[in-house]
Amino acid sequence: MKAFVEGAEVSLETAAAAAARVLEQARQPVIAGLATDSAGARAAILLAERLHGAYDHMASDILLRDIDVLRQAGRLLTTPNDVRLRADCLLLIGPKLLNIWPGLADRLALAASPRLSEAKARKIFWLGPGRGEAAEIGAAEITATPAALPLALAGLRAAVLERRIRINGALAQKLTELAETLRAAHFGAILWSAESIDRLAIEMVQGLATDLNQKTRFTTLPLDSGKNVSGVVQTSGWMTGFPVRTGFGRGYPEHDTWRFNATRMIESDEADAALWISAYGDEAPQWKRQVPMIALARPQTRFPYAPRVRFEVGAPGQDHDAVEYARDIATFTLARASAPSDAPRVADILALIEQNLTKGYEAC
Amino acid sequence: MLIRLAGGRVVDPANGRDGVGDIWIRGDRIVAPAEGEIPDAVYDVSGKIVMAGAIEIHSHIASGTVNTARLLLPENHRAHRPRPEETPLATAGWSTFETGCRYAMMGFTTLVEPAVPPHYALHSHLELADIPIVDKANLMALGDDDYLLSLLQKGASGTQIADYVGAMLAASKALGVKSINPGGSIAFQNNVRTFDYDDVVPEYGVTSRRIVEALQQAVVDLGIPHPLHLHINNLGVAGNVETALKVIGSAGNKPLHLAHLQFYSYGKEGKRGFSSAAAQLAEAVNAAPSALTIDVGQVMFRQTVTISLDVIRQFAAVPMAKPRKSVIFDGEINGSGVVPYLYKSDNYYNAVQWAAGLELFLLIKDPMRVFFTTDHPNGAPYTTYPDLFALLLSRDARARWLADLPKEAVEMTTLPSIEREYSLSEIATMTRVAPAKLLGLKDRGHLSPGALADVAVYNDDPDRAQMFRFAHLVFKDGDLVVRDGRVTHYRYGRTLAVQPSYDAATDRRLAKYYDDLYGLSRDMFKVPADAIARDYRFEEVACGQ
Repeated sequence: MKAFVEGAEVSLETAAAAAARVLEQARQPVIAGLATDSAGARAAILLAERLHGAYDHMASDILLRDIDVLRQAGRLLTTPNDVRLRADCLLLIGPKLLNIWPGLADRLALAASPRLSEAKARKIFWLGPGRGEAAEIGAAEITATPAALPLALAGLRAAVLERRIRINGALAQKLTELAETLRAAHFGAILWSAESIDRLAIEMVQGLATDLNQKTRFTTLPLDSGKNVSGVVQTSGWMTGFPVRTGFGRGYPEHDTWRFNATRMIESDEADAALWISAYGDEAPQWKRQVPMIALARPQTRFPYAPRVRFEVGAPGQDHDAVEYARDIATFTLARASAPSDAPRVADILALIEQNLTKGYEAC
Repeated sequence: MLIRLAGGRVVDPANGRDGVGDIWIRGDRIVAPAEGEIPDAVYDVSGKIVMAGAIEIHSHIASGTVNTARLLLPENHRAHRPRPEETPLATAGWSTFETGCRYAMMGFTTLVEPAVPPHYALHSHLELADIPIVDKANLMALGDDDYLLSLLQKGASGTQIADYVGAMLAASKALGVKSINPGGSIAFQNNVRTFDYDDVVPEYGVTSRRIVEALQQAVVDLGIPHPLHLHINNLGVAGNVETALKVIGSAGNKPLHLAHLQFYSYGKEGKRGFSSAAAQLAEAVNAAPSALTIDVGQVMFRQTVTISLDVIRQFAAVPMAKPRKSVIFDGEINGSGVVPYLYKSDNYYNAVQWAAGLELFLLIKDPMRVFFTTDHPNGAPYTTYPDLFALLLSRDARARWLADLPKEAVEMTTLPSIEREYSLSEIATMTRVAPAKLLGLKDRGHLSPGALADVAVYNDDPDRAQMFRFAHLVFKDGDLVVRDGRVTHYRYGRTLAVQPSYDAATDRRLAKYYDDLYGLSRDMFKVPADAIARDYRFEEVACGQ
């Protein structure tokens, strides 16, 4: 694995020193991408604080959609294992859920009856799937385009509460029947993803689950996007109290989903240096303005413009052991390296950069 | 490094000591006075009060549930300022870093997170690893796990149950076992909305009582120093003193710790049908064998958030959420709920709760058996501890608070008639000596030669709240970490865990169980010693037998 300054290969130490200079000379550096294991996220947040910079994640638009609803309306939720073992009635919401989590049917053992439930069969419905998706897992389909989904959800919620639905006859009939089945469930779960439904629909899903709990038990399973996105949010949570899009400009963490949007900060000339972290795949930054960039990325990454300093890093759980959020268990696990190599970890490179800073706190 | 703390009032009840004298520290240990040696550092602490570092036994500070509360309530973070500023992330309100700093500033040097289901153990350890300065530990929550309940259903032997508990502890790296409304999470998944001590868990045919007895025995059999740490049924419900009395009555002579008893000290008197039965409960605790201990879970008036694995209770509390949002979690081992709440001094019910907590503190006679908690953050954030110390130390302080409360609430308690004031020695017993004994930490909680040099020095300020809020000096392992109420630097402490022996065949059985039921390797849920690839040291706390 290699490190480069202005395209020329150098030692890790030389590259780290050069990166430290770029970040230190910036008025407002921003750490972006942030696709890394939990040790990498931790190191990045400590570095952001020391630089009085900000940090953001490449998947923020999606993950904050989810968190925004959480902190405005709250949430009912469960784990994949709980759905697998206890849920006798599943309602999937919106398209592409099998793309988001290809192993979903297996992990939730959809074809089998729930092992720890007195209900002996599992009923599966899918409201608004993409073409052919419902059949793939043997779910009963209730068609709704993404645009029609909020209305269909509202109709379903009304039907659950036995209120009148003012939508077209066929759909209303289907929703009324579905509502009856949901209300008769023993322990049901609504599966959804912030990648495929918007804020209002997420809130409606939560409201639906809440309403169903008046009579029976219902919860929801937000499908995790993988690649430790949730792990980075969790790490940010205990380190600063906030999720990503948090800045330290005033010396203490402030969270603002608009202000600390890394791409916005760079395009608007607020941020004058960027540290891009992408250890899971070959994602490159989306901004157009060519601010000086330090990149910690996989070797195959194609950048829109040349990074000032570039480090090739290993992939968590592949090149090195990594603590990351595993969607199979909805919490952290230690993923052992599947193909151990000497490719450096993001956390190690960031520590090296931090050691080369001349001001601020000592390393933590 | 030899340090002499010279001329302070040493309050060290474990050694029957309360008088002016010196404390000597060499390296990370307290040592006998080193006559004839010149210390490397001498601190003149005359006029100050010297105690061992305090030990927190029950504070929700490091778990997935706590983190959910952080993400649910961004608006709460501002309330946590002002903050220490000289160390990394110390300005981050409600962060693990702030937790370490704020506790250290109050003279606490060991903290226990009490509610970690085994499947979420690594998350808790990741958060504990980011709590600087102090030593820490967590308790593993069992009692709603299919494996245990299936064992009980099948009439498994005590040995089989102990082996299972031992194997889970070893995998989770916890200090002890907690159980929360045992069976309640599974009952809730079966649409049960209240769950009593003698109710049967649906599908398993065992009662909550049976789960408690089995876990209590397993903890004894494994020789785990900390008794079963029990959060009993019917928390927060009017008339629930009956449940608490039933549990106390059936505990027998086996060790048992009852968590946040204040939340179970309610009668049904008065026109609102809600009164303090704390006096009756305190009497029952006084009469029970000394192996029964309790902590209080004191309520203080302010905005907080309730964080609990008692999902039935949390679901019931959802309509009372303030602000109006909450998280209710169903999990494969235990559920949980996060419900924000505002305790107000002009609220009848909250006033009764506040008084009932103080009644327990003051009417339970033995400070070795009543523990200092607010069940952070459920009754109040731990940052209110200094005010609570002041209330225990002064009847006048209590009278001032009582004057502001609704009269009809005060009449439902015995608090105004209680004259007792804690002495500093009793405070030290309750927050140092007793917790060290309860957790099996032999070299803490006292200042004998050989003890760990965790020392808190306080100004003898007549404003006791101020005294306990900002310690004059705090040493962790002999290292000065707080000076004049400010953290000087970080160091990272140990994580305390038990490593009980159990039949190795249990791990093979469990591996097969996880493969079969979850279709996953059990290894995914374990906490490998090298998971946190930094300076994160586990220290074994010895089991008996």
